[in-house]
Amino acid sequence: MREEHTSRKAILEIKDLKTYYFIAEGVVKAVDKVSVKVNEGEALGLVGESGCGKSTVAHSILKLIRKPGRIVGGEIWFEGEDLMRKSEAEMRNTRGGKIAMVFQNPTSSLNPVFTVGSQIAEAIRLHQKVQKDEVNEKVKDILAKVGIPSPSERMNDYPHEFSGGMCQRAMIAMALSCNPRLFIADEPTTNLDVTIQAQILDLMRILRKDFNASILLIGHDFGVMSELCDKIAVMYSGKVVESADMGTIFNDAKHPYTKALLESIPRINIETERLRVIPGDVPELIRPPPGCRFHPRCEYAKEVCSKEEPPLIEIGRGHEVACVLYAH
Amino acid sequence: MKNRTQEHFQKKKEKTLRPSRATRLFIIWRKLRKSKLAIAGFGILLFMCLIAILSPIIAPYDPAWMGTSRLPPSLDNVFGTDNLGRDMLTLVMHGARISLYVGVASVLIEMVIGISIGMIAGYFGGIIDEVLMRITDVIFSLPAIMMLLLAVSMFETRGENMIILIMGLLDWPFMARVVRGEYLSLRETTYVEAARSMGASGWRIMVRHILPNMLSVIIVLATMDIPWFIFYEATLTFLGFGDPSSASWGVLLENGYMFAQSHWWMITFPGLAILFTSLGFNLLGDGLRDALDVKVRE
Repeated sequence: MREEHTSRKAILEIKDLKTYYFIAEGVVKAVDKVSVKVNEGEALGLVGESGCGKSTVAHSILKLIRKPGRIVGGEIWFEGEDLMRKSEAEMRNTRGGKIAMVFQNPTSSLNPVFTVGSQIAEAIRLHQKVQKDEVNEKVKDILAKVGIPSPSERMNDYPHEFSGGMCQRAMIAMALSCNPRLFIADEPTTNLDVTIQAQILDLMRILRKDFNASILLIGHDFGVMSELCDKIAVMYSGKVVESADMGTIFNDAKHPYTKALLESIPRINIETERLRVIPGDVPELIRPPPGCRFHPRCEYAKEVCSKEEPPLIEIGRGHEVACVLYAH
Repeated sequence: MKNRTQEHFQKKKEKTLRPSRATRLFIIWRKLRKSKLAIAGFGILLFMCLIAILSPIIAPYDPAWMGTSRLPPSLDNVFGTDNLGRDMLTLVMHGARISLYVGVASVLIEMVIGISIGMIAGYFGGIIDEVLMRITDVIFSLPAIMMLLLAVSMFETRGENMIILIMGLLDWPFMARVVRGEYLSLRETTYVEAARSMGASGWRIMVRHILPNMLSVIIVLATMDIPWFIFYEATLTFLGFGDPSSASWGVLLENGYMFAQSHWWMITFPGLAILFTSLGFNLLGDGLRDALDVKVRE
């Protein structure tokens, strides 16, 4: 598997992305020099605590950052084109047509005054020239594909008549309706019950095969990530601190933050007295600590950690870490 | 098995895949019919409209007919006669034409301007919002009736069309403010973000995604404003800026006002006509708001 992935072409490559929010108190560096790569057909998981900038990365890819936020620098290469150089009109074709996104609040992601079917139909008509009856057929097909029972009836329902899980299915249907090449899921299962969560993840796994789209999955839950992803990038305070493929992260994580995160997952098979917690809070992005941003919470912190910012260096095949412990 | 059920559903639902526009209107009508008050409002307005349309045929006299002046209601003149001896019933019936027309037409103008300005200011925000809202504030802070008088006196033409135009052009600030406020909050919703992530343009989101969500607010504002416009027209005509020969309800009211103490029928009947019309609009507006709300079940 690993071999295959590395030989694949990158569909999305973010280089040194910087997205800042300019608020009255100062500049919030929500995303600070983040570089990630998603290969064709691959699923990358972007993990981190709340407020570490992972959603901002997702929004930056689609250039959906709103004031007072702004993408300050970096490149976003998608299918060989730099999205940063695209005009708003060109971006509109990309959004939905080539890159689709699913949000974390399924019930509020659908417009309450339109039927679910008509919203999916609109998404299709935005990107494809199809006849009216054809659109209805497509809507029905796609709803059936995401597992909505009796789609020809349910497509005439309004969002409030759908459950949370069904809304998320409908959102996924909408996202997939135009055969996107990249599918961004921003915590798609966060507000759902555990059983529904599992169903949605199953669905995403099946769809990934059927639609052959690459996935960027954003979340804070390693359990969810491990269901779907081939690779993981761990973000902390606006920076990527470690990235590697799934197995390496679980078995051979190097960065103290990644290790701490993994140790804070409850596991059934390992007996522990108490679950580990990472002391302290995510630093305020407006005044990040100098040097390595994790050092105030890091148990291995040395003097140098508060002075120099460790670069992301490759320590193994496709395994990158930003920590002085591994810098040579 | 699964395929068969699917086929079954397909056959069954082939014709009613998406409700067409006509069906959706029918669903709204069906929901509207459930509310007795809404139907009462609808009935009142229908009645008023019929009278307005049919007044030349069903009115007992010609509006220019003159008999004995200031006759109390009798079998000959059901609503009595006015100070010129004209039949009040005939006048009230003919007045419905002008008053309904004035009320509805000015609200339409007000809505077009108010919604457009509020929508653009609220959705785009920033400097656009600032400029548009300051203009709105200026117009809002001017005493309406003074502005109406000033505006009307600037033009040579008299008549209700001029009055309608001017009222509509001057009375939109309140609606613009309310619409702007709604847009400010609705533009932050997740479904707007989702629509943007699907590649919808700003204008499309503004008009097609957000506007339908505030239909209820607009309906309430519009139905509340119609009676105001009917009164405004009366005031302006009273002050000599309308066509005095056209007897709208407002004109009748102002006319009867001077005789209110001695001849009650001259003021009561046009007053009741205005009262019932506003009641009709308010009841229908309320019912319509509920009928259009998709969350209210049939």
